[in-house]
Amino acid sequence: MLYFVGQVFPYIAAGVFLAGMAWRVWTWLRVPTPFPLTLSPASRTLTERAITFGKELALFRGLWAGDRGLWLAAWLMHVSLAMVIGGHIVGIATLGNEFTAIGLTSEHSQALSGVMATVSGLILLVALLVLLYRRTAIPEVKRLSDPADYFDLLLILSVVVSGMHMRLTSIEVDIAAIRTYMAGIMSFQPIPIPNEGIFISHFFLVNLLLIYFPFSKLVHLAGSIVNRAMLIAPPPVYPSATNMRSNSIQSNVQMWRGGNQQ
Amino acid sequence: MKPPMHVAKDSEVALIGYPRIPEQDQQAAFLKKLDDLRVSMRSLMVMLENCTKCGNCAKQCHSYLGTEDYNNFPAARAELMRRIYKRYFTWTGRTFGRFFGAEDFDADTISKWLTYFYQCNECRRCAKFCPFGIDTAEVTIAARHILSEIGIMPKFMQGIAVNMNKTGNNMGIPKPAIIDCAEFMEDEMREETGLAIKIPIDKPNSEVLYIPSSADFFTNIDTMIGAAKLFHYLGVNWTIPSTVLEAANFGLLFNVNVMREQNQRLKAAATALGAKLVIQGECGHGWRAAKMYTDGCSGPVSFELVHILDYCDKHLDKLPLKKLPLRATLHDPCNYARAGEIIEQPRRIMRACVEEFVEMTPNRDENYCCGGGSGILMDEMMEIRMKLGKKKAEQVKALGRIDYLAMPCSICKAQIPAVMKHYGVLDLPMGGVMDLVGKAMLLGDTK
Repeated sequence: MLYFVGQVFPYIAAGVFLAGMAWRVWTWLRVPTPFPLTLSPASRTLTERAITFGKELALFRGLWAGDRGLWLAAWLMHVSLAMVIGGHIVGIATLGNEFTAIGLTSEHSQALSGVMATVSGLILLVALLVLLYRRTAIPEVKRLSDPADYFDLLLILSVVVSGMHMRLTSIEVDIAAIRTYMAGIMSFQPIPIPNEGIFISHFFLVNLLLIYFPFSKLVHLAGSIVNRAMLIAPPPVYPSATNMRSNSIQSNVQMWRGGNQQ
Repeated sequence: MKPPMHVAKDSEVALIGYPRIPEQDQQAAFLKKLDDLRVSMRSLMVMLENCTKCGNCAKQCHSYLGTEDYNNFPAARAELMRRIYKRYFTWTGRTFGRFFGAEDFDADTISKWLTYFYQCNECRRCAKFCPFGIDTAEVTIAARHILSEIGIMPKFMQGIAVNMNKTGNNMGIPKPAIIDCAEFMEDEMREETGLAIKIPIDKPNSEVLYIPSSADFFTNIDTMIGAAKLFHYLGVNWTIPSTVLEAANFGLLFNVNVMREQNQRLKAAATALGAKLVIQGECGHGWRAAKMYTDGCSGPVSFELVHILDYCDKHLDKLPLKKLPLRATLHDPCNYARAGEIIEQPRRIMRACVEEFVEMTPNRDENYCCGGGSGILMDEMMEIRMKLGKKKAEQVKALGRIDYLAMPCSICKAQIPAVMKHYGVLDLPMGGVMDLVGKAMLLGDTK
């Protein structure tokens, strides 16, 4: 069983996640966009488009304009999640010594690394709880929610709680052993998983989340980019020398009466 | 559930080429049409698959704020389609059903769609506030298309399609009456200015094709007069085609095939004339249909396509305008401000035409819809229409005394006067932006 959880399941999870996300994005991109959906005012230049894109994707401009409370919870949740994921990668790889690169001593780096991880984790935990509370407290949102909407939050919460459990309680988790284990996974030479119940649970839940991710609304990680790209497309210009959209996609449009011919 | 509008009868839908599918076959036909659309419109597929149900759109939708009906909250409205889509076109919905919010097509589905997708004004304000940019207008366009493809549509839409087929305009004005109307307006202008300002219909060898809204020949003649004076002053060789005396394109509002046919009609008229420039009159969704859909429906095209406000704005410095003593405001038609790149042009024109220009709040691309958008002008829906217009009335009231409300769109011009009356804003002159240009322009005797 531990062999499966530690040396087989991670590959299944990573494979399903990568293939699943690629498949979802492919199912969208293969569908034509017969008409531009430019949301006015349109960005004129590439730089302007990049700024609009960045504002929406990185700063959640739409939420900021609509509901500051939701913006705060959602933005903090996503940013702290990004911090936590980034922290896992560099923190485990360097055993908390990542800040020696900017001149800190090893002890200071490990201390700073630990503080940042704890703070990010706590923000993530609280933000997720706020989002969960919101889902039950706002009547329209409650009525709109399906079991999956709660399941998503609870699954991520379970990952966060098991992670924070290792961080905040006195359980000694041997990060060096985990690094060795992760290095084995990454180099396709898996070794047995460190036999620490709470770590195994945490790692298993992460793998479950990866498998679930592409088939749930969490796919908005990619969808938000594909959707936004349609809205910032440049508007058409006339006269048009050739049908700007005919080359690749017009022929696939299934909605016209009497076939696809012009 | 009984839809709030008169639904076109079997014989009526057959008349425009969309016969009603018998009830026992409706589900299959309905799902087939949904399947066709999901593989033809990336927007639909992405927007149905990515909502995280945060609820941010609820407070931004004038339809929900006005009616307070849960199904008019944008995410809930889209959910009417999303649940069926998940059930039949996603493996998670097919396998896990209710857990992922999948729902069977049932006896209520069609009437629910008819009821609520015809209370969305396709204004795109939700897309402005959605963190992903999910645009409920896309879902509404798709839903209405599916319904009409199986022969289910409001009588109002069917009637307009009949008029369009018969006369080339929504009002059903035949050519002799068009010429009469044009002569009447020419007489009006002669009386006012002493000049022979023409409104040429089907004049051969014209360089510019002007496509007014048919209502400009009927109820909003000041808009037409403003455009005619502009062309006269600039010495433009222009004409109006009797075959497409209609900037509006109601196809966009109920059936994408009908939209394409009308769009091709526009191209045919421009090509027949050899026009280098096509100018669209004051019509919101019609401008969106022309600007955003011409390439996909009728491309490539050899003419330039501009909006009358864009054209007027470009020549503003040359015009002999005398500011009218008015405190005026502008209602941004949704399809200009969120789908048509017409935002600053009407403002510059109005500042040149009136002494005081004031903004309502919110404005520009965050403006609220008038409540008539997407062709919700049915008399029998008056009560709902007034609820849809509630936000607009509040916006106008907040401005205090104003002398003119500009709304450069024929649907706004049909809806807003009724809304203002309903909410007790009386004696407020309203009309287009070109109306102001016509009145402020010093020509002939008015100099």
